[in-house]
Amino acid sequence: MKLGVLIKEGPYMHQAMDTAYNFIVAAMESGHEITGIFFYNDGVYNRCSTLEPPRDERNIMKLLSELELKGVRLIVCVAAGKRRGIVNQTVCKVEEISGLGQLLELCITSDRMITF
Amino acid sequence: MAELDYNGKKIQTDDEGYLQNLGDWDKGLAEALAKTENVELTEKHWKLIEWIRNYFQQFQVAPAIKSLTKEVMTLENLPDKKEANKFIYELFPEGPAKQLAKIAGLPKPTGCV
Amino acid sequence: MSEQEKTKVMFVCRTAPYGTVYEQEAIEAMVMFGAYEQDISVSFIGDGVFSLKKGQDTSLLGKKNFSMTYPILIDDFEISHIYVEKESLEERGMGVEDLITEVEIVDRNSLKQKMNEMKALLPF
Repeated sequence: MKLGVLIKEGPYMHQAMDTAYNFIVAAMESGHEITGIFFYNDGVYNRCSTLEPPRDERNIMKLLSELELKGVRLIVCVAAGKRRGIVNQTVCKVEEISGLGQLLELCITSDRMITF
Repeated sequence: MAELDYNGKKIQTDDEGYLQNLGDWDKGLAEALAKTENVELTEKHWKLIEWIRNYFQQFQVAPAIKSLTKEVMTLENLPDKKEANKFIYELFPEGPAKQLAKIAGLPKPTGCV
Repeated sequence: MSEQEKTKVMFVCRTAPYGTVYEQEAIEAMVMFGAYEQDISVSFIGDGVFSLKKGQDTSLLGKKNFSMTYPILIDDFEISHIYVEKESLEERGMGVEDLITEVEIVDRNSLKQKMNEMKALLPF
């Protein structure tokens, strides 16, 4: 099944991103395709390049970058990002910044959209 | 961040020339903004500026292009969308989303497309 | 594009308009999605119904009053339907006369059926 993921909460304060990460890994292991992860609302903070949690804690930003290396598309909403200071200079990868149209695109190309 | 000289004052704009503080806007500033876009304001421009400002004030969002087209058809008695679009681009050659919004002192379209 | 080819997406507004930014960013997405010629609907359940209440004044909050935007979503931004769950209104002591715009009032069961017809639900 093709699954699109929408993340609305930032890292650490909420469990949303952790649950989503575990869900995504499990879904991929079971042979499902992740069409993309769209970061909206405070979710854009998950792609902030200056996140530096203590070394003995999980690094959410790195976990996501690992997913990206496995071919998962990460999309950071430009408007939500600008409002919060997640812009070209502060996002992990400039190419990840895109528009809300990409969220609709995920809705169209995925069998299911899952929101965390 | 950039600045625009207007009546001896420095008006703050972003790098693309949109106002930082929407409250700075007045008709004279609209003329100054229009100059930065090489647009000479006529009666026809002003009608649309007034319309889009009222729309934004009333509904809290910038109108969709289709609402602008519809308004132009009514205002100018044009027969169809094609004529209306032609009219709009004659007034704002680089596109209404960019130029009309900027001159009317609306926020920059969020660029989410 | 024919009706069958359109993707059906529903915004599910569940949170009150104040206290969080969910309402504002949901509405920003609604006006954007309208331009893409899909079948977009908006539903209000739970505290989300407060977004449609008449007589809101946000001036002291320094926040925009988006209750003014809902009345034009259908005509100006190509949103297909605005649904409000009947039970959610009743639970909050509200009725049609409290709402800022004309909407389709549906009961919990029918809204559930409509949700089942969607390709994607976007909760806010």
